[in-house]
Amino acid sequence: MVEVVADRVAPEQKKSGALDRGVVERLAGDDPEWLATRRMQALRIYEATPMPSTQLEEWRYTDLSRKLCLDKLHSPVAEALPDDPQAWPERLRSTMAEDHDAVGHLVLVDGSVVHTNIGAHLSSRGVVLTSLRRAATEHPTLLEKYLATQAIPPEDGKLQALNAMLWTDGVLLYVPPGVRLEHPVRVTRWYSETGAAFFSRTLIVADSASKLAYVDEALSDDFDQETLTSQAVEVFASDGAHVQYVSAQRIGRGAFCHAAQRILLGRDATLDMLNVSLGASTTRVDLNARLLGSGADSNLLGLYFGDGDQHFDHNTSQDHIAPAARSDLLYKGALDDSSRAVFRGVIRVAEGAQQTDAYQTNRNLILSDNARADALPKLEIHADDVKCSHGATVGQLDEESLFYLMSRGLTRAQAERLVVVGFLGMVLQRLPLGGVVEKVTRVIEEKLRLGAHA
Amino acid sequence: MPKNEVIERLDLDRYKYDFRTEDMPVFRTEPGLSEDVVRAISRYKEEPDWMLEFRLKAYGLYMKKPMPEWGADLSQLGDVLDQIYYYVRPQDRMKHSWQDVPDNIKDTFQKLGIPEAEQKVLAGVGAQYESEMVYHSLKKEWESKGVIFDSIEDGLKKHPELFRDHFATVVPPADNKFAALNSAVWSGGSFVYIPKGVHLETPLQAYFRVNQERMGQFERTLIIADEGSRAHYIEGCTAPVYSTESFHSGVIEIVVAKDARFRYTTIQNWSRNMYNLVTQRALVRDGATMEWLDGNLGSKATMKYPSCYLVGEGAHGSILSIAYASNGQHQDTGGKVVHAAPRTTSTIVSKSISRGTGRASYRGLCKVYEGSTASRSNVECDALLINETARTDTYPYIEIGERSANVGHEATVSKIGEEQLFYLMSRGMSEDEAMAMIVRGFIEPIAKELPLEYAVELNRLIELEMEGSVG
Amino acid sequence: MPEWVRVASVGDCPPGTLVGVDTMDERIVLANVDGDIYALLDRCSHQDYPLSDGELEGTRIECLYHGAAFDVCTGRAVQLPAIRPVKAFPVEVRGGEVYVQV
Repeated sequence: MVEVVADRVAPEQKKSGALDRGVVERLAGDDPEWLATRRMQALRIYEATPMPSTQLEEWRYTDLSRKLCLDKLHSPVAEALPDDPQAWPERLRSTMAEDHDAVGHLVLVDGSVVHTNIGAHLSSRGVVLTSLRRAATEHPTLLEKYLATQAIPPEDGKLQALNAMLWTDGVLLYVPPGVRLEHPVRVTRWYSETGAAFFSRTLIVADSASKLAYVDEALSDDFDQETLTSQAVEVFASDGAHVQYVSAQRIGRGAFCHAAQRILLGRDATLDMLNVSLGASTTRVDLNARLLGSGADSNLLGLYFGDGDQHFDHNTSQDHIAPAARSDLLYKGALDDSSRAVFRGVIRVAEGAQQTDAYQTNRNLILSDNARADALPKLEIHADDVKCSHGATVGQLDEESLFYLMSRGLTRAQAERLVVVGFLGMVLQRLPLGGVVEKVTRVIEEKLRLGAHA
Repeated sequence: MPKNEVIERLDLDRYKYDFRTEDMPVFRTEPGLSEDVVRAISRYKEEPDWMLEFRLKAYGLYMKKPMPEWGADLSQLGDVLDQIYYYVRPQDRMKHSWQDVPDNIKDTFQKLGIPEAEQKVLAGVGAQYESEMVYHSLKKEWESKGVIFDSIEDGLKKHPELFRDHFATVVPPADNKFAALNSAVWSGGSFVYIPKGVHLETPLQAYFRVNQERMGQFERTLIIADEGSRAHYIEGCTAPVYSTESFHSGVIEIVVAKDARFRYTTIQNWSRNMYNLVTQRALVRDGATMEWLDGNLGSKATMKYPSCYLVGEGAHGSILSIAYASNGQHQDTGGKVVHAAPRTTSTIVSKSISRGTGRASYRGLCKVYEGSTASRSNVECDALLINETARTDTYPYIEIGERSANVGHEATVSKIGEEQLFYLMSRGMSEDEAMAMIVRGFIEPIAKELPLEYAVELNRLIELEMEGSVG
Repeated sequence: MPEWVRVASVGDCPPGTLVGVDTMDERIVLANVDGDIYALLDRCSHQDYPLSDGELEGTRIECLYHGAAFDVCTGRAVQLPAIRPVKAFPVEVRGGEVYVQV
């Protein structure tokens, strides 16, 4: 055995382009004045807010001091790719090739929008799909009203403030009253620059009685260096609107993925939402659905599958502010190797929110001796005429199902794979989006083949 | 009849233990807490040096630890803690016969029905008044089999080695702020030892009474159930209603040895000006079973999570918790099970009722360490809300590090169903009868586990609090 | 591959004291028991709080936060609420410097 002697402290790594005031000022320099002011305000909030520690209940199981070292990250420096698929990475192109039935496409590479396309019949009716950076000058009224104000303001937390001061680009999707998109809008994100911190925002405004489906896929190769992707997703579903939102994250190992998502639902608005977390070393999702109008209905679905030393932390909340609204959450995950999942979900029923129906379920499969699952499903109920329940389970593969499949000629590994796909796939049955369901299923199968159960 | 009126008539809120006894303690410390108070308690009890050192260290920890910021609202507690008496000695020495207990104190316990129950159905009785056990007695047949049922102070004096081997091993002073406080100023409580293989056929009961205004009661109980033994311990708690707040903070430590079976029942019915912050924990070894039955009806604010540390193979833990939160009450209760050995099993069942401005919160932990193979745990919480100002919360923590574990948690919240009421009334019941029936049905799974046939006092309490006086 | 890492000077950790030190990967607590230095992972097996905030009494290290205690020589848990051991690291003192094998 060779003895190696190293010094005790890791050398301070401070690259030029670290995430400091200079970067914020540079970004603000390109902003219209109202936006520059907000950026600087976010910076002040960021500086005044301590980094969340594990002493905070919401961060108890994810130690940022060990998992996210902001000092080591720099803001992206790579040149934006041209709007030409031939110049894009093969994996990005092949992923997009699978997306048939879309009414619009948008592509981000390393945090910048490089391609946008929306059907002419929709843009003529006022539908907007565009880069958020362009929208800052082209749709200032919309952005001033909705961007980082009512949904995810910088006051929400340290990481939310960081995003609000450092975002470089993102997506704006606006659907006018009564307009119904017949197919999804597809957004694909590709990351390649290592050691960088990417900040983007998504703003979706579904005006009254409109209908839209939005599918957002993020992917990359594995990173050697720690890399951060931070997303703030703000969705406004006005009265009677129907929004379907799907996000699938398959970013490479080495990445820390943070997504803050908040959906505000008006009267009789409907939300179907699915978060699929498969990639990254650490994934943290803060999801909040606020039911602000009576008759609102939200279905919140989630899937995660971990292997290696992946860490998933899903932090969800269902806020019933208005009476007679319904929300139903189902998050399922499977954990292999020494991966770990935390699910923390709360249903809050405000005073006066009578006739609430709210449900929450988290189910975990532990596939290896070193995997771990923690579940914290909470209820906080301030009204009495409600139907609320939650359930959480942690268990292992059902031996009977395995035995049955093996008696039909499958190897144990094949049987296990099938049972896991079945377990996770049940979530997808609740999502009425055909093409998307197929693709997500394929992506899970792909990951299972690559994992220990191949 | 309006629903609220029906509830009033259900009489769930009447507190029948609001009577005071005029008496003069033989000694009490000055109000408030200081190192001198800690030293005085130890001096009065003529303790060995190690116990004084233990108390002083715990006092230091208590002063250092911050007030919990979760659970019940403790923002006013600081003032209460500055004003209460930490040690009140009601009589010279503990008695073993009711005849020797001073009349005024004896009257109190007679009103509570204790001596009567002792004669009929109990193996032994301990009665604590203010800070000291005033009475302790165990039936001869059990004494002759080596059962020890004594005040905690006598446990320390008469069985120093057994005591020291186990004391504070299950709940260390640093466990939480109030365990530290109790460790510094503990007084009263029971010391119980059940020898190997002895099956106690009738329960032991300890009764805790706070009589004086601005009183702090800090009982400490240590129970050792040796291999293959079986026993059941019941505690009951009441106090008169004063305009100022009182404080109760107990620490209960239980060691359940291999293949032993122990049940600990609490019927807490403190007056509604009492802060009740209690640490109860059992260490459960191979093949042993620990059962907590925890009924929380009284107090202003209770924080109490009986726990089972399942450290031996095949150990089983069970927690049945019932909470009733009425106007101004917050019951923050639940249970914890920690699985740290193979084939351990546990169940937690929690039922709560919130009415008026009451708030019932379930807070629980189910943890399964890696290596606790083939372990199972099931948690069920039901909350019933009686009107729109009531509040309920559920805060479970589920931490699973073992692949072969099976863990489930379920919680539901509902209100008294208009349809159920309507149906029952259509069958000829009055509205209050129907309401009572629904409430009874809701708590029945737990009520039926209570040893009603054993303790007359308990029986009265349940009838009064849970079923109400209907018709 | 195990690696010897210099983490402190002997003078940084006098007898009867605890010192938390950072290595590249993990934070470690050093305990000086009558001149012999022991090293444990600086994370209580109960709720992950740093043991270096606690107290050393003989070979017993007690966590400040909930009173869990461990044997510093082996990492064995000796007091509830901890049940599981804490990882112990080999220690060597060379020329007044403390090395830990991580």
